[in-house]
Amino acid sequence: MFNRREAVSRIAMMVGGAFTAPTLFAMDVKESGKFLNADLFSLTDAQRQIVAAVAEHIIPKTNTAGAIDAGVPAFIELMLKDCYKAPEHASFLKGVNDLIKAKFLSQNQDGQVAVLTLLESNTKDMMRSYQQRRMKVGDNVDKETLEGANGVPFWRLIKELTLLGYYTSEKGIEASFIYQPIPGKFEATKLLPGQKSFQY
Amino acid sequence: MNINIDAIKGQTFDAIVVGSGISGGWAAKELTEKGLKVAVIERGREIKHIEGYETAMKHPWEFDHRGRPTNMAAEEYWAGMRTGYTPNEEHRYLFENDKQNPYIEKKGGFDWIRAYHTGGKSLLWGRHSYRWNKQDFEANAKDGIGTDWPIRYEDMAPWYSYVEKFAGISGQAEGLDVLPDSEFQPAMAMTAPEVHFKNEVNKKLGRPVTLGRVAHLTNPGKVHTDLGRSSCNFRNKCMRGCPYGAYFSSLSATLPAAMRTKRLTMVHNSIVSEIIYDEATQKAKGVRVIDQNTMEVREYFAKIIFVNAGAIGSTSILMNSKSSRYRNGLGNDSDQLGRNIMDHHLNVRASATVEGFESDYMFGNRPNSLYIPRFRNWGKDKRDYIRGFGYQGGASRDGWGRGTGMDGFGATFKESLTHPGKWNVGFGGFGEILPDPNNRFQLSQTVKDKWGLPVLEFETSFGSNELKMREDMMHDAAEMLEAAGFKNVNAYNRQGTHIGLGIHEMGTARMGTSVKNSIVNKHNQVHEVKNVFMTDGAAMASSSCVNPSLTYMAMTARAADFAVSELKKKNL
Repeated sequence: MFNRREAVSRIAMMVGGAFTAPTLFAMDVKESGKFLNADLFSLTDAQRQIVAAVAEHIIPKTNTAGAIDAGVPAFIELMLKDCYKAPEHASFLKGVNDLIKAKFLSQNQDGQVAVLTLLESNTKDMMRSYQQRRMKVGDNVDKETLEGANGVPFWRLIKELTLLGYYTSEKGIEASFIYQPIPGKFEATKLLPGQKSFQY
Repeated sequence: MNINIDAIKGQTFDAIVVGSGISGGWAAKELTEKGLKVAVIERGREIKHIEGYETAMKHPWEFDHRGRPTNMAAEEYWAGMRTGYTPNEEHRYLFENDKQNPYIEKKGGFDWIRAYHTGGKSLLWGRHSYRWNKQDFEANAKDGIGTDWPIRYEDMAPWYSYVEKFAGISGQAEGLDVLPDSEFQPAMAMTAPEVHFKNEVNKKLGRPVTLGRVAHLTNPGKVHTDLGRSSCNFRNKCMRGCPYGAYFSSLSATLPAAMRTKRLTMVHNSIVSEIIYDEATQKAKGVRVIDQNTMEVREYFAKIIFVNAGAIGSTSILMNSKSSRYRNGLGNDSDQLGRNIMDHHLNVRASATVEGFESDYMFGNRPNSLYIPRFRNWGKDKRDYIRGFGYQGGASRDGWGRGTGMDGFGATFKESLTHPGKWNVGFGGFGEILPDPNNRFQLSQTVKDKWGLPVLEFETSFGSNELKMREDMMHDAAEMLEAAGFKNVNAYNRQGTHIGLGIHEMGTARMGTSVKNSIVNKHNQVHEVKNVFMTDGAAMASSSCVNPSLTYMAMTARAADFAVSELKKKNL
């Protein structure tokens, strides 16, 4: 399993370091031998509305494209279906359903931001305890019992997938970076004030 | 039996080369250029240079999962998943599906990463290219480990020069005994924190730091442009295949060179199941192949055979070549066939954040790193283990991915991620693995693959020398980052990795001084089957700590030169 974690962290580096520790743990979960259940994951329209709204809060439309413009909500659903397994499906759906129960979409902008700010704060605590328990239990314990109900928390999943989906999309790259698919040279340069990142 | 004379003529060549990867490509080039009619027999499908690189020019958004492997890919490429990058959506099409090409981990784990198509892993390699040093060839004798190399640096030096000029190796001459200089293309640039690191580590610890020496053209000459190769464009998307032919591969360089002689025949989709041994002449007379698609069995005949199927693949062919003379595999009087699997052990790293340098940046995506040559057990340094390690790594600025670990969301957060973040720096070690006869593979007695060939069973584990070395690898990496004044130094020594993870698998048909201790002699000839040459990683008697491909290239060119001179003398 250590290999797997390293594995994912290397992939993470390749796509720009998008994947932080919690998702690396999630990828470990996939080695627990559960059968593939990719096609079991789908969202209802009500759930899709929540996903779109939260993604748009993370990367809102400003004078440039936002998450919805860049197709991020559909990307999130595709990634969960194809690249994640049961624990993350469960934690993601729980997070979405909690927001439905909390009538998230009925709240005004400030209320929604307050809910998500609280969610981010709670998620940090969850991640800490999640990581501590993993360290304590180590690698020799049946991981099913530990991880069955402990997928990466909803907020971390949706934040990460929103960033990945947006900053690698055509609209997101155009809006955010100096895109140079064929640089033609490599040289040390100076960063000009306010300069955007190069993207290759 | 109906014999079609034309067909038989069509299947007879001066030389057969098994495999079209780094060493097979070189064998094909050298043998055809010296006038031989050569068949290269490749087990995998045909990939054409440039047009076959189906993902090379794709934009990030053209990958459905933006590069990440799906659950399905993770299951099918289970060995590849251990590397962390081979099943990536960008270049997965160039790697083999592990589920369809199974192997057995009988004891311990072994990571066997395969690429069955024209060019093999020459399309996918890390491209770092370093000469071995004098001590690398003397170390086995000095340490009483394995078997002595029957060749020395001086035997290899002219051949290193020869292959470097053709391949094109970018790097900086340093005049170091530990890392002999190559014939260089201009070196690539360093970033500002890297220059700082190089200077501080050199000043405070006396360790040289240089640019990685990589098989990329940075100032191509006529020998390169004649083949349609051009300069590196610094996209760092090399593993998708390079449409500029800027890095050395069989497809960009050696196979086109062989093809223009009009003496090369490429045979694809043909798995060599065995070498056909002729008891009367005590030589090999050809190879038997299975068509990977139609299952048709065919034979090809030649005066000499170069086995270049990758270390494990080449040795498994010899193992499967049984005759009444060689019941345990062709040339295996020493029982060394399949033993002494080596690689480079890695996954020991240190990283840090760099304070300052906020106004420094870089343009381009350098497909290369810095290199720190071995300094342990070198000169006066003595450790409680033998041999040593080198490091590869460098500095870059954080990108948008830092956002997942940051607090916040919304308009300001979104805007902040469009600018470069802090500099960070990291180095990982590549350690020498000692030859150990118990690290081996064998043919399964019971399990066969879909072509009816025995599946391979591996037994490999690290020894105490590697494990002790890893402590130093971790400590020394952290020490250098601290010496450079970098902050938040985080070092780790990943436990539980396997031999094979470096994808530098070698050994298993080692070169040695006698038929009693080895499979091939100093000319890479199977000791007593002299028209069979093994010049890929299989022939390695020790592993050094530097990336191995350049040595395979030089060894192949050297052996091809010998083979042709022996043919002319009618010794083969």
